[in-house]
Amino acid sequence: MSEPGAADGGIGAADGSLPLGGDTSPAKALAWRGISFEERMASVDFRVGGRAHITVDSDVCRSCTTRGCVTACPANLFAPTSDGGILFNYEECFECGACYMVCNHEGAITWTYPDGGHGVVFHHG
Amino acid sequence: MAESADFDAVVVGAGPAGSSAALALARAGRSVVMVERGPFPGSKNVYGGVVYGRVLDDIIPAWWSEVPVERWVVRRSTMMMTEDQSLAIDYRSHAWGVAPYNGMTTVRSHFDSWLAGKATEAGARLVTSTVATGLVRDGAGRVIGVRTDRDGAELHAPVVIACDGVNSLLAKEAGLLPHAEASHYTLGVKEVLDLPAEVINDRFGVRGHEGVDIEILGCTRGIPGGGFLYTNAETVSIGVVASLPHLSDAKVRPEELIADLKAHPSIAPLLRGATLREYAAHLIPEGGYDTMPPLATDGMLVAGDSAAMTLAAGLWLEGVNFAIGSGYAAGRAADRAVTAGDCSARGLASYRADLEQQFVLADHKRLRKAPALVLSERIQQRYPGLLCDLAEGMFTVTNPSPKAGGLRITRAAAAKHGVKLRELAADTLRGLRIFG
Amino acid sequence: MSMSHPVPTAPLVVACLRVTDLRPEVDLLTGSVRRDRLGVGLSAPDASALEHALRIAEAWSGRVLAVAAGPRSVETVLRDAVALGASVLRIPWDDDGSDHGFAAELAGDEQSLARAIGAALVPFGTPDLVVCGDRSVDRGTGALPAFLAHELHAAQALGLVALSPGAADGTSRRVLDAERRLDAGWREQLVVPLPAVCSVEGAGVRLRRAPLSGVLAAESAVIPTSALPPRPAAGTGRGTGPVLVGATRVFTPRTRVLPAPESPDPRIRLLALTGALVAHDPPTVVGPVGAAEAADALLDFLVRHGYLEEPPVAGSPTGAGDR
Repeated sequence: MSEPGAADGGIGAADGSLPLGGDTSPAKALAWRGISFEERMASVDFRVGGRAHITVDSDVCRSCTTRGCVTACPANLFAPTSDGGILFNYEECFECGACYMVCNHEGAITWTYPDGGHGVVFHHG
Repeated sequence: MAESADFDAVVVGAGPAGSSAALALARAGRSVVMVERGPFPGSKNVYGGVVYGRVLDDIIPAWWSEVPVERWVVRRSTMMMTEDQSLAIDYRSHAWGVAPYNGMTTVRSHFDSWLAGKATEAGARLVTSTVATGLVRDGAGRVIGVRTDRDGAELHAPVVIACDGVNSLLAKEAGLLPHAEASHYTLGVKEVLDLPAEVINDRFGVRGHEGVDIEILGCTRGIPGGGFLYTNAETVSIGVVASLPHLSDAKVRPEELIADLKAHPSIAPLLRGATLREYAAHLIPEGGYDTMPPLATDGMLVAGDSAAMTLAAGLWLEGVNFAIGSGYAAGRAADRAVTAGDCSARGLASYRADLEQQFVLADHKRLRKAPALVLSERIQQRYPGLLCDLAEGMFTVTNPSPKAGGLRITRAAAAKHGVKLRELAADTLRGLRIFG
Repeated sequence: MSMSHPVPTAPLVVACLRVTDLRPEVDLLTGSVRRDRLGVGLSAPDASALEHALRIAEAWSGRVLAVAAGPRSVETVLRDAVALGASVLRIPWDDDGSDHGFAAELAGDEQSLARAIGAALVPFGTPDLVVCGDRSVDRGTGALPAFLAHELHAAQALGLVALSPGAADGTSRRVLDAERRLDAGWREQLVVPLPAVCSVEGAGVRLRRAPLSGVLAAESAVIPTSALPPRPAAGTGRGTGPVLVGATRVFTPRTRVLPAPESPDPRIRLLALTGALVAHDPPTVVGPVGAAEAADALLDFLVRHGYLEEPPVAGSPTGAGDR
């Protein structure tokens, strides 16, 4: 799916002939949300290494009630499992550190950097 | 026994702080090596706005003639918004668009690589794709080097300068930074969107290499933070910064906040048709002066984001300049300490003294209470709406009813947003004390 | 060539690397490709090729030479190879002398590229083995290894998922054991004679990390550059020059009028439309036959079904691509 926003005349409308108010309707505004999370993440260069640089101890997570990592992780890598644990995927990690910062359970998240040269590469940071 | 190599100084991280430190050391004739964990300098770095160049004037004369710039910022806008209102103070300066320039937008992969190139030209060594996994200490506990992830090989030096960024695992290992203190940090998420240069020029009212920087308050669903939008050559960057503990408590996903901002009636027309080039996320140390770690320990200095040197004080949002300023000062202090043969915390103390003399610590100290005020509940949740309603009351023509007086409009707006006039006056005074 | 007398120097293993921006950005409107030198790196097949070269050279106590064609931006990757202990050589290709140039399209003229590589290798002696990344599954046409094998009078094996020094067949002759994927999960095991050009998939091995001492030494190493290869003048010589693509047009299959199925029963009509009950030509099994006969059979088939208008002239090396 391409971004709906790009399809509504897109760059061609750059001549400014449309009134600015023309695209502020709720429907248009919602169109901006059209980008899927997968598409969002596909825009990022991840050079995935062979070692998981973050590990999650699911046994500790089972006693956690806040689960701050699940919403705070900008890459959405923390998935709650049906048995109350947390499933973590390290491949598309921004290496930002939000997860261990918001985690209030000592030892649940072991956080290191990926091996040199691997992990996220920002080209337009 | 792991293999090792000896230098006068080891700099961890080849971002703006690390490259500046290495540049200062190399210029002093010291053997210095930078250890960068990314494949190239800047590959792990994200920023949210503008690089202010004054700090470079002394370090790289006429830097503007060679720096990889996207646009020179000539318009600086501070915007407050509610769901469907916005009020902006828009400043534009011709002087900002000519040398020596005030600030610029750039791409960190280009800017950081350029600055690291300055250091290697001066004689510094650069090792990329290598993580400094830990500190090497002597029997007395002094830092004498770092261990790398290349078979555990070590780099030894009398001084290690930790410029390893916001998560500084080295400063944490040295006991200078707490392991995790979420309240000192914000999470920044950013989208870089493709837009043709002419479209950017038309929509933002600029031409040529002129650029715009818009800082936004009130766009984060009440989560303490803010938004930004700025122009690059052929892309625009839009992003949101949100207090980490509040974001996690609010159970709001960061990309939703960006989506909100992009859909706002004041922002959406600027971005129409733009397509996503790159999404990014990074932590920002926003605690200010009071959360800074000790800047030196035996055999080690800390600079840049590792030392929480990001100024997030509402009107001012700066980081790269502080990284460069602190990094260069750290490099010079390390050189002095090596000359004197005393790289203990005391021998390295001239670093802090130097920073206190210049903007790096002076600005942070003066604005030490700003982060708390800017991230306070009233500034974040009530004032943007109050001010927008004030403007609406002033500028809405109510014929045939006569115009209401300013005080009445203020009272009404304040009451609507649950702000007492007494609090408004107190916050104004507080702001004047901090910023005045 | 040198079978009659012992080889004077250690065996030479060449890793022929294709260095490019691994994430070029394609403008969806114009189709223009934007490349960034910061994106330069080795693709998985090429990294695998370098690792195989290092392993085999170790087993043979041989030398490794990593070659890459391109402007100066390819030096980043060759420097990494230096850190791993390999000798390196850059072949200036699409080199405008600047630091920022980019080998835009190596696949454009792979025959000339193979010649340039072959010529550049001469001072190093005849390679016993050239390992390439399998580009046909990655990008590019995958034709370079074949051209290279032709230049070096070497055997060729492509699409390999495993490659290792083989058990000598009772003589002192070195061979390689190789394995490649076939359809339906089958594997084919090959014994490759030397000299050989082998292209490997990005599978099975991971490129080792260089030691810190290697990285420090490589950081200031000078990357040797071969003499500027002669560029073939377009339209001259023995069919050299890039493959020319004529004007392209949108493919519109000819329409065929089909009578509507006649039946009162919708199910029968539907079955007729899908062709489920119609007899089809069974798959033709040709062979086992030689390569030439197989090619003839394929061409016959294409002509018979109207995909080719006339058989191409036999013996023309790039004849199929000219029109």
